[in-house]
Amino acid sequence: MAITKLAFIVRSLPYKTEASRLALTHAIASQTVEIYLEDGDNVEPVLCYIGDGVLNCLKNQQAGKHYGITSLEQHAKNSLLLDLKVMICKEDVDKFGLKEDQLVMDAEDIGGETNAQLVPYSEIQKVMEEVDHLQFF
Amino acid sequence: MKLGVLLSDHKTDSDVLGRLTAEKLGIILVGNGTYLATIKENGKASPILDKTSNLYVLVEDLESRGLSAANVDSRVKPVTYSDVVDLIFNDYEKIIWL
Repeated sequence: MAITKLAFIVRSLPYKTEASRLALTHAIASQTVEIYLEDGDNVEPVLCYIGDGVLNCLKNQQAGKHYGITSLEQHAKNSLLLDLKVMICKEDVDKFGLKEDQLVMDAEDIGGETNAQLVPYSEIQKVMEEVDHLQFF
Repeated sequence: MKLGVLLSDHKTDSDVLGRLTAEKLGIILVGNGTYLATIKENGKASPILDKTSNLYVLVEDLESRGLSAANVDSRVKPVTYSDVVDLIFNDYEKIIWL
């Protein structure tokens, strides 16, 4: 019986490349991997936003309206709906002059019960040290 | 030369942009370039906004990213896709993409 810890670190801006979208879809998909594992084995994903990546968390993204694609905001909410641990770097949020109420911190409107956490970079660094697999997007 | 520059990156190679000179220079912020018109990193507006007085930002790309025309730096004019087409055809002889 083993728990494998995974960290998905999002440092890329949304939309121009698929990088941040891939991070979120991989993190979300990791929640379903249990069916392929032995009894007692599981994975524990953590999704962290750092640097430019925190801009993926902005509310009111209208990519669907203008381009007919799902927004990163929706993916961020889906990750919370599936109870992923989500951490957003406070220093980077501050650097961009953003406030917590401008960010997707919960998914209550779609029935989610888990909240994202605004944390100092040192906590994200700690996650990076603790996990078995570290992936940057 | 009347030169229009479509800028789609947030972290751009400012050396290239800095060396560009033109009788009339226009910068059209699209894609991830729209962050340059709205986000003040460490409280400071992007130095790219000092490069010319002809600054435009594509509203569709702003709104896709959860930003709005209301947050745009006062030096930058929010424009629609059709406005960009008009700029390309009517205001600039050459267009480059950075």
